[in-house]
Amino acid sequence: MIRFLPLVVRNLGRNPLRTALTGGAILLAIALVCVLRTMPAAFDAILSRLSNNTRISIHHEAGIVYSMPYAYLNKVRSIPGVVDAVSWTWFGGAVDPDEGVQFPNFAVDADHIGRVYADYALDPEQLAEFERTRTCALVGRRAMRQNDWQLGQLVTLESTVFPLELEFRLCGTVPGEAAQGDVDAASLPVFWFHREYLVEALRAQGVEFDVLGTIWARIDDPERVTAVMQQVDETFRNSEARTVSETEKSFFTSFFSQVQGLLVVIQAVALLVTLCIVFIAANTASMTVRERMREIAVLRAIGFGRNLLFGTLLAEAALLSTLAGALGVFASVGLARWLASMGSANPAMGPLTAFVVTNAVVVQGLFLSLLIGLVTGVVPAFGASRRSVASILRETF
Amino acid sequence: MIELAHVSRQYARGADVVHALEDVSLSIEQGRFVALMGPSGSGKSTLLNLLAGLDRPSAGTVDVAGRRLDALSEDELAHFRAEHLGFVFQFFNLIPVLSAVENVELPLLLTALGRGDRRRRAETALRIVGLADRARHRPNELSGGEQQRVAIARAIVSDPEIVVGDEPTGDLDAKNAEEILGLLRTLKAEFGKTVVIVTHDPRAVRWVDEVVHLDKGVVTGRDPGGAAA
Repeated sequence: MIRFLPLVVRNLGRNPLRTALTGGAILLAIALVCVLRTMPAAFDAILSRLSNNTRISIHHEAGIVYSMPYAYLNKVRSIPGVVDAVSWTWFGGAVDPDEGVQFPNFAVDADHIGRVYADYALDPEQLAEFERTRTCALVGRRAMRQNDWQLGQLVTLESTVFPLELEFRLCGTVPGEAAQGDVDAASLPVFWFHREYLVEALRAQGVEFDVLGTIWARIDDPERVTAVMQQVDETFRNSEARTVSETEKSFFTSFFSQVQGLLVVIQAVALLVTLCIVFIAANTASMTVRERMREIAVLRAIGFGRNLLFGTLLAEAALLSTLAGALGVFASVGLARWLASMGSANPAMGPLTAFVVTNAVVVQGLFLSLLIGLVTGVVPAFGASRRSVASILRETF
Repeated sequence: MIELAHVSRQYARGADVVHALEDVSLSIEQGRFVALMGPSGSGKSTLLNLLAGLDRPSAGTVDVAGRRLDALSEDELAHFRAEHLGFVFQFFNLIPVLSAVENVELPLLLTALGRGDRRRRAETALRIVGLADRARHRPNELSGGEQQRVAIARAIVSDPEIVVGDEPTGDLDAKNAEEILGLLRTLKAEFGKTVVIVTHDPRAVRWVDEVVHLDKGVVTGRDPGGAAA
């Protein structure tokens, strides 16, 4: 078969514009598919960066929007293996209620947050001030950037959950300046403030607030995380509010489940794009073969057998598709590296560094391009090679 | 050498059945230059396809170079054609993306010859047809007559016993047609090939040993050609 390769290659050069357009379509489709194939892994990597393997979330069995008794917090802290635990309560505060909640903001237990989020390297002075001052807030760097805030600034949030409007002083950033780049890149634009500030404000309105939204606990050993989660849920099994414990990564995975749904849609679109390219390339392959029926008849006449002719015609489609696909894979690697360099240069685009075209994706891309070539070439090649020479001669001469 | 006995060929054209050949018997001896002549639809191209192993008869037997072609499979026929036959068509049908010498080399790709041997043989065939100096030219850089010479070189490069041509002068001017007929005559005279052509061209009569006349699917007569000994 190798001795027929020059003939196959030369035939690809027969109509350079058509070959270039078909190859270009395949190249773009494969590049797109390869980039999109990196998304699930990239999403997983982003979640891993967001998550700590010793932190767990404990929330109501019915969902995170349901409250649990505040007394649960001390019970969790008393379970062996739990270093510390902190409650989060959704405040739903907005700078401008007409624009809605622009960043998640929670009432937290100020004197426990530093231990549970030790990996966030909160600045000791800022943390101490936060613990001391009831109106202080710690704000995610991204929220600071988004709102163009400065430390020391006074910010008022109007709650969309409680009939409250609270004023805060920005005392520190989350994570701290000493935190590693990945934590900063992946950090949520959070806004933490004193739970006591919220409780007192509600008490002033005659409301006794003794519930919480979610408990975050830090475990002393990653190996004990599963056992501790089981014990937590067992502790509250017969309570009025049963709990579900999960790792931080699992929590974020559930929290971003809509993103995963979007990923599925994107992958489906990529599949449809590939199918469109298959149809276009198949049409081109059929046209190419139809135009060459005289030559095919001559080749058959001088002794090219049906299998050989089938092989050379199929090889043409497969070679074009594989070469174009290889370029597409190459392009996707280049694109991913470019995105990564953008992410490295700008912390706000840090998640872009998670898009990596792995060896597995490269192999999948090459295999897919070969498959496209075979699928598009097989029907016209089979049809042309099986027709009787005499019938082709009668029709074309 | 070529022996057809009681050969018929029918094929479907839409709802109709076309009787292209009816009970034709014909023998052509080795080393003869024979023209099949007749009006359009007389069955001459069908007859040529049958004796060249491009088609199979509906009835009768076809013996060529000692083989019963009507009993061979498609792949066996392809192998037979590659070994024993060379083809020349009206519209030359060279591969446009290959040079003259690469076109001539095509049938040799089916042999066990190495690249160097294939190229040497192709150049020799081009020398025989007088186109040694045009070997690197693409078909679109050659005149019609030159393209037909390349097609003849392709037909003889594997040294077949039989060369068949379907209207080999049909697309050429008078001068080139005479040259091609002369070249085909040379194949018979100097290389001992059996040459069978289908033609409407009355000039061909002067160059061939024998003319077989066909009409409505039957052989209506055989006349000696102008070159008959």
